[in-house]
Amino acid sequence: MPYEEVRVRVPIGLRILSVAALGAFLLGWELVVRLDVVPSTMLASPSQVMGLFAIKLTDPQPDGAVLHVHIWTSIQEAFTGYFLSLLVGIPLGLLMGWFVVAEGLFRPVFELIRPIPPIAWIPLTIFWFGIGLAGKVFIIWVAGLVPCVINSYVGVKMTNPTLIQMARTYGASDWQIFIKICVPSALPMVFGALQISLAYCWTNLVGAELLAADTGLGYLITMGRRLARPDLVILGMLMVGLTGAVIGVMIDYVERRLLAGIRR
Amino acid sequence: MVTIANEIKVEVKERGQFRPLKLLKNRWFLYALSLAGFIYLWHWTAERRVFGGGLPLPWDVLVQLGKLTVDPLAGKNLFEHTWASTRRILIGFAIGSSIAVPLGLFMALNKYANAIVKPIFDLLKPMPPIAWISISILWFGIEETPKVFIIVIGTVVPCLLNAYNGVRLVEPQLYDVVKMLGGTRKDEIIQVCFPAAFPAIFAGLQISLSIAWTCVIAAELVAARSGLGFVTLQGMTLSRPAMTVAGMIAIAVAAWLTTLLVSGLERIVCPWKRGLENV
Repeated sequence: MPYEEVRVRVPIGLRILSVAALGAFLLGWELVVRLDVVPSTMLASPSQVMGLFAIKLTDPQPDGAVLHVHIWTSIQEAFTGYFLSLLVGIPLGLLMGWFVVAEGLFRPVFELIRPIPPIAWIPLTIFWFGIGLAGKVFIIWVAGLVPCVINSYVGVKMTNPTLIQMARTYGASDWQIFIKICVPSALPMVFGALQISLAYCWTNLVGAELLAADTGLGYLITMGRRLARPDLVILGMLMVGLTGAVIGVMIDYVERRLLAGIRR
Repeated sequence: MVTIANEIKVEVKERGQFRPLKLLKNRWFLYALSLAGFIYLWHWTAERRVFGGGLPLPWDVLVQLGKLTVDPLAGKNLFEHTWASTRRILIGFAIGSSIAVPLGLFMALNKYANAIVKPIFDLLKPMPPIAWISISILWFGIEETPKVFIIVIGTVVPCLLNAYNGVRLVEPQLYDVVKMLGGTRKDEIIQVCFPAAFPAIFAGLQISLSIAWTCVIAAELVAARSGLGFVTLQGMTLSRPAMTVAGMIAIAVAAWLTTLLVSGLERIVCPWKRGLENV
């Protein structure tokens, strides 16, 4: 953000309206289930989900693991894939942005692979890696890779040309320009990629686990469907959302600390 | 009178001596080299059976693609499967964007609507659309409806966010201009908000489209009897990797074509964005 953030105080009336809307939403949901408007095989009420949440913290039934085991498995898979994609994607994107040879060699292949949704790799990865950890990590890796490469690439391409010309005038080599000018000026875009890529990884993790897994939040959701237990499904969905949101906030915090000097 | 637009640029191409090293600077040569290298590497890996028969030869995939267009799989040939997936996407995408874009614009323009919808939206936003698959199967069974439903869910989030932010990030000076020229609130909205928000809305549509493809493939992998996701899954169940890869290629082509469709639409609907492209 180029400008200092200005916090506008929200008028109290609007705040009450927000809380009331949320309350009405939850109350409506609760009532719809309580009054049997929809059958209990289709929807569980918020109170039932909260109750199940408390139970699932200690009870591994009926899906074979307690809640934090599921969450921990998912986080492990997501982060392994995520870090691998950062490790490959960011240097690749940066190099593609500056060196003609790197761009010429990698771009066509990248453009070929890019339009395929990562989820579509699932059958092929099951051929390759079976249904263990490696397959899921591979899918998450593919998912995280694309935004990393694109953002780093665009970040380098957007470098102010004046700076590059200045460095040329002073006799800097290609490599020096890349390291001293292009990479630092691409950093804000690269950090943008950290967020986007994590969101992609998290979305596709659920997809990978929907098909083949024995623990993890996606598996919890699938089991809920197989057992026709909507409370399990909704609990799983809420946990996916909540964990994703918490991780997003953490990355945001790290980004802000690291970029304090660059982004004003 | 000489205008810049009519200026004629004369470029003189010098044809120097041919040197092999110069080829390495030629973009098109590198592209060709890259594709050839990719296909060769693929062929080599497949022939050595690095993945134990899980990776088909490129040629086999081509043959399989040809076969799929003629021989029906589960009663449909490749084009009909592609259409099955694309149709779901077009329906879901149309429903989702026609809900989300007006709602996002309305939320940005009306603070009461914003106060009511935003907290509920924020509650539902962080759940990935794929996580909705299970509940939508519980609700709608395994026919077309759950697939369209998931696409709608996936489309709504980025469309709404982009329409909302597109209006909110309009430069305040533009409003001042309208006010200074004696415009009303209606003028502000029609003359400033909408044109300024269009590029953001279209960016949202592009994001939604790629999410829609992810959703439809995921839904078809879980439960379907038609569609490209079904083709790739059939390849796996029948243990024919060539069919899986052929399905993936078809997905890539179809996804790419729909992206072209939206960017073509964007060129027609908001021509003023053209200058911002090519960044």
